[in-house]
Amino acid sequence: MAMSWLRRVTGRFPSVVIARRNISRARTRSLLAAAAIMIGVVAIGAIGAGGAAFKESQLDRIQEQGATNVYVSPGFDKEDRYFDRTDLMRIDETVGGAGIVATESRSMEYRVRSNRQRSLSVTYLDDPRRLHEVAVGEIPANWRRSAVVSSEFAAEYDLEPGDRIVLAPETDEGETAEFRAYRVTAVLAETQAFGVDQVYLPIEATGDRRYGQVRITTESVEEAEAAAAALREEFNGRKDTLIVFELTSLVRLFKSIVNGINVFLAGLGSLSLLVAGVSIANTMLMSVTKRREEIGVLRAVGYSKVDILRILLVEATLLGAIGAAIGIALALLVVLAANAIFLGSPFAFTSGSILYLVGAVAFGIGTSLVAGAYPAWRAANERPVEALRG
Amino acid sequence: MAPEPNEDDGRWQEAGDHATSETIPTDAIIRGTDVVKEYETGGQIVRALKGVDFGIAPADFVAVVGPSGSGKSTLLNLLGLLDVATSGDVRLRGRDVSTFTDRERTRKRKETIGFVFQSFYLIPTLTALENVEMPRMLDRTPTKTRQRARQLLERVGLGDRLDHYPDELSGGQKQRVAIARSLINDPDIVLADEPTGNLDRDTGDRILELFDELRRDENVAVVTVTHDDYVAEAADRVVTLIDGRIRETESRRANFEEGPDP
Ligand SMILES: Nc1ncnc2c1ncn2[C@@H]1O[C@H](COP(=O)(O)OP(=O)(O)O)[C@@H](O)[C@H]1O
Ligand SMILES: [Mg+2]
Repeated sequence: MAMSWLRRVTGRFPSVVIARRNISRARTRSLLAAAAIMIGVVAIGAIGAGGAAFKESQLDRIQEQGATNVYVSPGFDKEDRYFDRTDLMRIDETVGGAGIVATESRSMEYRVRSNRQRSLSVTYLDDPRRLHEVAVGEIPANWRRSAVVSSEFAAEYDLEPGDRIVLAPETDEGETAEFRAYRVTAVLAETQAFGVDQVYLPIEATGDRRYGQVRITTESVEEAEAAAAALREEFNGRKDTLIVFELTSLVRLFKSIVNGINVFLAGLGSLSLLVAGVSIANTMLMSVTKRREEIGVLRAVGYSKVDILRILLVEATLLGAIGAAIGIALALLVVLAANAIFLGSPFAFTSGSILYLVGAVAFGIGTSLVAGAYPAWRAANERPVEALRG
Repeated sequence: MAPEPNEDDGRWQEAGDHATSETIPTDAIIRGTDVVKEYETGGQIVRALKGVDFGIAPADFVAVVGPSGSGKSTLLNLLGLLDVATSGDVRLRGRDVSTFTDRERTRKRKETIGFVFQSFYLIPTLTALENVEMPRMLDRTPTKTRQRARQLLERVGLGDRLDHYPDELSGGQKQRVAIARSLINDPDIVLADEPTGNLDRDTGDRILELFDELRRDENVAVVTVTHDDYVAEAADRVVTLIDGRIRETESRRANFEEGPDP
């Protein structure tokens, strides 16, 4: 029989049955208390998990842009404001197996037509293929007087391999620029990566083989961090010979900022749970005051203090659980939306957002439990003789 | 006042040389000697019981009478292990109850005592049947408990009101539910503090009649505080309390046949 089966199950958890009945007795008051918990859970869950989704999406973007790279430029204490061959060898030694690419960036004038020119940034280096993929054309081993252009640049000026571009080093006011023609030998593939210049020229074209920046490419974020640390230790002991910049430090900074904001907002959410706790405590106090005699009878017929305590704590917890259940359902809706917006799929839960959701529920129920403790303790310790003196 | 002679099978003896001599059964479930109970309220000490002797034997039917404030409820609270005496000796089956912890007292209370109150104190969210089950709800024997509760409700004449809530029952019916509840743990003693106080005369009489039947059918001692004259006829003994002292104990034990009922 279904009824007797149900009874056997509920008979196992009598305090839950008793608690449920008591909650439904003062329905409005119970609902208000549960609603307070619900608001707190929604606040923590939605803010925390939504923020986690946002953080994840921004982190993804940063990773994509080469968080495995370390960029090095001459430090303030370096006598020459550039790296020469010796410097490069020392850097190469310091970072071990990681691949290093030395570059020099300069501004140049690009003559679009005979009567029109614009300024652009040019990167000099040994081999562009070590930085970027080539889409069309190819780079000869000796590419003196050739140029490689980015896909955007090629698209903007309608360039393809074989075309010529005319460039001149930027000059001070009054000086006449010395234009030279370079043949476009390759166009780079399109990329989202950070730091793609418009035009690449061979390092020999600088005339002096001086490099302004070294890029160190590693396999993982951890290796990048290790390389950066090694460089700082080797070169920046007493003087700042190098400026070492790795995206991972940016990632770390970003993480700590977003985490800080998130924790702060979720903390504000917890404040609402504090208010909810007061509400639960108030509800429970009213409830045990109203049921003073009833609890006295329970004590008289053999319920121990611990039994009373348990029943009332179950009741407070149940109130919290009802609020938390509704709250987490609402918070989930918010997080599904946040996931869809930031991460492209409503179900792209990050471990951070799951932690916040679980934490919100635990915090909501925990708050109710703590809030119910004092009323329960007071009721359990009331002497039944006093309660029943009517 | 001369102590009353032993009347029947020698279960009665003199209560010693106290001012208020009483007949006390030797096989008492609970017995008290020279029991004093004081309350302290606002720095003032009220002496509610000023040295009384009592004893409740199995299947006893004792009526406690006396004016308001004479200490009747106080006495019942001590008998029911709800409170402890200020001085004197209270023993449950020979064990000094003042040595019990709160936990032990609660357990003994559950095993030994059933309570019936003037204002019924039924739980409004529970049906009649559930109210009767209530003292055993934490025992995790739901099937057995339900069986016994149903049986008891039928016994008190409420077999057709099992699923009614207290506010759907009359005063007399509520008190019957409360009586069934007091018996669910198969106690040795049922303590009733003015159980008919909120009932009209006829209903109250029927409740007391029920007590008289039950204490024989269920083999349970009944101690009831009452103002009802009917009890004077039905009870084995009438204990009269005046100002914290037992003034007279009237034993009518001889009026009842002893031995098992047919
Ligand atoms: N908890 C208490 N605190 C202070 N005084 C009490 C308390 N309970 C009873 N009393 C006092 O003890 C005396 C006896 O009370 P009670 O046993 O309730 O009498 P009865 O039940 O016969 O009316 C009364 O004077 C009453 O005021
Ligand atoms: Mg009284």
